[in-house]
Amino acid sequence: MFSAREKTMSFDQIPTGEKAESASVITNDAVNMELLSTYEELQLNDGSDLIVELIDLYLVDAAQRVSQIREAAIATEWVSLKKAAHSLKGGSANLGILQVAATCEKLERIDSRDWQAVAVLVQFLEYEFARAAEALAAVRQRRLD
Amino acid sequence: MQNFRAKLREDPPRRVLVADDDPVMRLLVTNVLKQQGCEVVVANDGRDAYRILQADSQFRAAVFDMTMPFLEGLDLIRYMRSENRLMRIPIMMISAEQDIKLMASSFSAGATAFLPKPFTPEQLQSAIRMLVRTGSAIRSAA
Repeated sequence: MFSAREKTMSFDQIPTGEKAESASVITNDAVNMELLSTYEELQLNDGSDLIVELIDLYLVDAAQRVSQIREAAIATEWVSLKKAAHSLKGGSANLGILQVAATCEKLERIDSRDWQAVAVLVQFLEYEFARAAEALAAVRQRRLD
Repeated sequence: MQNFRAKLREDPPRRVLVADDDPVMRLLVTNVLKQQGCEVVVANDGRDAYRILQADSQFRAAVFDMTMPFLEGLDLIRYMRSENRLMRIPIMMISAEQDIKLMASSFSAGATAFLPKPFTPEQLQSAIRMLVRTGSAIRSAA
């Protein structure tokens, strides 16, 4: 996985038909903070910080799913790739990590024979996940300070 | 003391089974259930949930993710609907898939409710409140 600061995505690499949508996506934040903060109302009175717990769980689980997606793409295992993308999509969308969710949805719907396009989307997914991870780590730190 | 024991028999803890391979979803659903005074039994995947259900049927409701390793949510619903001791437990399915056919197949398999992702905290609270009430109503009527 690479850092969002180290990697600049080349949109020329995005498959035809995806380019315009992805270019508009990059102008948005990696994490919808407003959506994430709505979960504060599910906070229990047990001294924990639900948002921090959610971030910690998401970062570990999502990193594993991104790895599974990358490995499935390398091995051209369509079923494994689709399952991991599906799982990552749901959790990401719920926490407001919308670009990761949108990229997973594209992976779910792409033609399974087009492995070159899959490779580009996986690269883009890693980029978006790195951006989200940085943003979430900053939120986590602010809440713990 | 006798009154207390009688009260416990009348109103046992509202236990709910939650099965999801996504730890974020498990935490969200668990918190909402705890807010509503429920006791939560957690399964990390479909096979784990199946093992729990084989040994334990004392649940007011169940919440399953549609897509899980080993056994999917739909498999669990079909199993529960085929077992006398489990068939009355209301089940809510959660899925990232918004396909109407999938929703229909959940209901035809025996799901009581279907919650598509993404959902808001209010939607989750409301869906779970309805599910637990349904479970309590079925228990009272039995």
